[in-house]
Amino acid sequence: MTHLPRRTVYPFLLLLFQILFSAIAFGSVLREAGEEEFSEELLLRPLPDRKVLAHFHFETRAPSSLSDSYGRHHHLFPKAIAQLVQKFRVKEMELSFTQGRWNYDQWGGFDPIPSSNAKPPGVELWAVFDVPQHQVDAYWKNLTHTLSGLFCASINFLESSTTYSAPEWSFQPSSGSLRYGTLPREAVCTENLTPWLKLLPCRDKAGLSVLMHRPSIYRGFYHSQRLHLKSSQFDSGGLESGIVLEQTLTVVLQPNSQSTSKTYSIETKLQPSWSLSSIFGRKVTGRCVLAKSSNVYLQLERGLVTELENLQMENVISRADNMGSEGLRSNPGFELSVKPDRVFKEVNSIYSKSSSVLCEYSIVKYSDSEPFDLGLTWKLPVVWSCQQAPLHASRFLMGSGNERGAIAISLTSTELNEGFLGANTVEDRCKLQVDIFQVVPWYIKVYFHTLQVFVDGQPQGLTDVVEKMHVSPSEDKVSPGVMELVLKFPCGVKSATLTLEFDKGFLHIDEYPPDANQGFDIPSAVISFPNFLASTHYLEENSLTKTPMLSKFQEKSLVLSYTEVLLVPLTTPDFSMPYNVITITCTVFALYFGSLVNVLRRRVGEEERLLKNRAARKAGRLPQLLSKLSAKLRGKECESPQSSSASSSFSSSKLILKVVIVAGIAIFWQFYSK
Amino acid sequence: MAEITESPPEPPGETQQTSETTRKRQEPESDFDPKTMRKSKPGLKRLTLTLSVLFSFLLGFPFMWKSVEIYRAPLPFREIDVLSAQIESKPLLFPCHFQAIFVGFDSKPSLTPDALESSILYEIAKLTSNTPQCGTCTNHTVSVVVDSSSGCVQSRNGEYLAPWQCGALGAVDFGDDEGVDDVLVDVLGGKVYSVVVVNGDGEEVRAVVGKYRHAWVVGRVSEKGAVARATEIFIKVFVNGGKEEGLIHGEFMPVGADGRIVLSFNLLNSDPQDWVYDWDFQAIEETLLAPVIKALGPVANISVESQVLYHTPKSSFSYWDDKRESYIFSTKDLPFFVNSNEWHLDTSIAAGGRSKILQFVVYIPSAKECPLLLKLPNGEISKTNGFISPMWGGVIVWNPQGCLKDSESQHPLRHTISPQDLQKIFEVIMGQFRQLFGLKSDNLYHGASGTSSLLASERGFTEWELDVLSRQHTCFNLHSCTTTLGSLSRLVQSLPRMIIMDEIGKQVMYSVEAANLAQSNASLGIYDASAVSSRQARSLAEDAFFHPSIMSVSYYSFEHCFAVYSPFFLPVSLHVLLDAFREWRRYKQENIKYLAWKTKVKKDS
Repeated sequence: MTHLPRRTVYPFLLLLFQILFSAIAFGSVLREAGEEEFSEELLLRPLPDRKVLAHFHFETRAPSSLSDSYGRHHHLFPKAIAQLVQKFRVKEMELSFTQGRWNYDQWGGFDPIPSSNAKPPGVELWAVFDVPQHQVDAYWKNLTHTLSGLFCASINFLESSTTYSAPEWSFQPSSGSLRYGTLPREAVCTENLTPWLKLLPCRDKAGLSVLMHRPSIYRGFYHSQRLHLKSSQFDSGGLESGIVLEQTLTVVLQPNSQSTSKTYSIETKLQPSWSLSSIFGRKVTGRCVLAKSSNVYLQLERGLVTELENLQMENVISRADNMGSEGLRSNPGFELSVKPDRVFKEVNSIYSKSSSVLCEYSIVKYSDSEPFDLGLTWKLPVVWSCQQAPLHASRFLMGSGNERGAIAISLTSTELNEGFLGANTVEDRCKLQVDIFQVVPWYIKVYFHTLQVFVDGQPQGLTDVVEKMHVSPSEDKVSPGVMELVLKFPCGVKSATLTLEFDKGFLHIDEYPPDANQGFDIPSAVISFPNFLASTHYLEENSLTKTPMLSKFQEKSLVLSYTEVLLVPLTTPDFSMPYNVITITCTVFALYFGSLVNVLRRRVGEEERLLKNRAARKAGRLPQLLSKLSAKLRGKECESPQSSSASSSFSSSKLILKVVIVAGIAIFWQFYSK
Repeated sequence: MAEITESPPEPPGETQQTSETTRKRQEPESDFDPKTMRKSKPGLKRLTLTLSVLFSFLLGFPFMWKSVEIYRAPLPFREIDVLSAQIESKPLLFPCHFQAIFVGFDSKPSLTPDALESSILYEIAKLTSNTPQCGTCTNHTVSVVVDSSSGCVQSRNGEYLAPWQCGALGAVDFGDDEGVDDVLVDVLGGKVYSVVVVNGDGEEVRAVVGKYRHAWVVGRVSEKGAVARATEIFIKVFVNGGKEEGLIHGEFMPVGADGRIVLSFNLLNSDPQDWVYDWDFQAIEETLLAPVIKALGPVANISVESQVLYHTPKSSFSYWDDKRESYIFSTKDLPFFVNSNEWHLDTSIAAGGRSKILQFVVYIPSAKECPLLLKLPNGEISKTNGFISPMWGGVIVWNPQGCLKDSESQHPLRHTISPQDLQKIFEVIMGQFRQLFGLKSDNLYHGASGTSSLLASERGFTEWELDVLSRQHTCFNLHSCTTTLGSLSRLVQSLPRMIIMDEIGKQVMYSVEAANLAQSNASLGIYDASAVSSRQARSLAEDAFFHPSIMSVSYYSFEHCFAVYSPFFLPVSLHVLLDAFREWRRYKQENIKYLAWKTKVKKDS
């Protein structure tokens, strides 16, 4: 109790300081902070499996201004986002809508694009709030509702505490104000893209976003639309302040090789040639006039560049020097339809001998009359491979039946060369660190003590491999189970497997989603490699004009990959069951009760006498038989039948009485229900 | 028939059972009919058994009823009924006090204040209709001061009178309206509606309504004319807000259910390829909007936000007019002007769910349609080049200077609308805003007895206009509050199995309280306070009505309840009831038999 006042005083002081600071800074900041900025970029990259990656990158910056006018007066920055940041005190947030799965083997897993743009299928949302710990959940709930309205998606399902979790350290280092949730089954379509485009000042009316022809985008193999915002609004003394809104759309498209796809040789086919108009069905007809920079990049990967260099060496032995713009234009592998404005070469990376090449096209000089249509025509078949993450992660289910099973995460080495791993040698022992973050819904009851680790097929002691572990077990209908692991493998590891056993739980009748027989999704696990940082430095002539995408490439981002979503079938009940159960139990109870009451008021002697009387009076054929039968059933000796006239009149009056009672109830019921 | 525990009466057919005892009683036996008589008292055992089962069921029923009962907070249905009856039976009327000051009417000795007062009251009665509108005044009290050279004479009921110093207007130049206004504020205090009639020299009669709560009429006016003039200003201007028929009616109040308004200002660059304009909204808000927002405080809680949008063409067509050398769109195109597909004006996240958002759009046409002008139905060109849409907001078309494209280059510069232009635009917007509230946007009032000019306030709304708005809002809010509460109480009463949270009960209670407070404030003539509390009443009523728990799933119907419980209770209750009934009937029958035998025995003995 005694330390309580001190706690309350500190934020107050901080607040006071903030107010003072902002009051002092106001005069200068307001004028100096600069304008809102917008930039648009598109990165194209041929992929080894005959596909093309297109990565749109839009960045809008709002300078921080007076907190009073903040989120109220905007020129370029979307009002909705600024108000969202202001209202929910969002420090950082990322929302992604993804359809399809990133193919880590073929499309690479090491450079900045997959590590920050390859997302799990469905919706993924995480946010860091600048509010006290106990309010974070409330803010998260409100944020999910607002986002679901803003993006026409069912993000509001992330409101329930069973769907989101608070990772401690494995996902992003944060001080407990991070919330993370995914909806693996969310379908993504144009209704999500349209509100996303609405946040751009030019929407899809002008600039690079004109290329977003819906049928061609959604025809692709992978489609991920992402919104990342970072605000330093609430930092007390940040240097760079304001909100940075980064919107990316990553699509992997298959260029249709309509051109005479002549097979060059038997085993290696020529890569399909493509152009912007052939993969998108549109051309760029000029930039968005509001954009500060508007560029298209063509990136050639390290593997491809090496291959091309080899080809060039074969062809022209003398010209083995670096590829200038002319060299690239007239290289033996392919031909570009437009000459790049600038060509950057990657500054030697530590992990690879060769370096990738980036061609820049500025859209400024193109217009309606002269649209920009970049085309790439392959001349020779080239086979290359992408740079991959150190370990390839996949996850699967084991076991059968509706009772229990096991989750296995398998990590296999992608055969990176030794020097690559050697770069991370810690003193003499080389260790490969792997972080795993896994959220499991509560109805998959994971037994964390059953965690087993196999390295190269051999079971290992947990203490040998697990460096750090944080587990928060699931609580039924309250919170999901969260597992955060830091594993250290020897560098020469070929494969590693983790298994966890689980029991399948039972859901309450109204917790089943529609189409429950389809199964339940376990969200993707996040596997990250903290020793490896994906960043690509490009050599530039003047470092001042660094475009947002290039600076994004330079940022040291964690290499991470998402595993597959698992589909777990649970026992699904027949949903009319509760009523059946109610009906049958009630009927049994009613029968029991009725017979009990009957037995209590029964007069056995009198009935027997009556029967005798009846037998004596009338010897009808049928009643006799009946009474015989009934006597037999009762296991008593047959008695002579008696007259049944009295009883029949009695039974008919009984019948009438019953009918009257039922009718009375019906009338009463009718009357009442009115 | 008899109980088995009793000794059974001998049936006549069973002769083998004739024992000694029966022979002894041969005599009564002869006329003993077992069908109608019995010798033993009928037993009560089975009857008590079945009845006890029945009673235990009946006793258990309230417990079960209680256990399946749904929690319903008590709502003050009676108070709601009383309130809505009050509001509906008689419109909410405010007391208004007027003060007429006649200066310079020396000549006539018949000009006594009391006579003037009665004639003004007579005129007022003529002007006010028989069915008073809600939000207007009733219970008019008039006090008259005649300021002549011989001194001041007051009428009898001078308790509402503002202190008037004789000859205060001695040295006032009536040419300077603002000056007069200030002098009158100093003299009268600006609390009571007053009209000062100054009988002057032979110039034309001028009537001016000031920024506060007074007006003055200067010129050669007859006594009768002065009375008519003063009365008209009292009733038509001060009470009715100078409204003409055909303007927006008071029922369309652009205030959200929670008493908030969000003014969303949008600058639309219809084609940024031609030119891009921006504005310095921060400055505008500080200088022009802040005083207005402050002035409207009692009526609504207003917040302001702005954005600039691009690529927003209008969706109606315009045609080129050679004579005017401009593109013309006419009033009949207006319904199609707002392009809701491309104008992402958006609702505001910052605003609460039930706030009213008024959109003000400044539309900058593209080079293809510049200059763009609005043609009025009478063939003239609109001066404001804008229009309003009630309850939605307003649109202004602003044509860039000269409509000149910067150059043929691809990269238009970003211009900023100059402060002078922005000032003009915001004057028009202010007029539109006033119109949305149902007030006049120009500064002339044309009455039956002449034209009065209205002084405009730099705050956008003059004091007397704010009074009018407060009165109207109080009235509107109370109406809306009672209808909402009435619907809520009807809904709650019609769904007996709906859960009602405590919170709803509290909100309804507070809402009723606030409504009553507003009513009592209104009857005292405190406009601001009644507007504020009526706003509270309305927002609380709406909160209660739209409380999420009302829509919750846990509402389940009586049919469901019936379906769940009937499989058990229907068969069981049939058994229990029928058995009890049968036993009771049988007991009665047997008792009659026994009694018959008893009487027979008595007779025999």
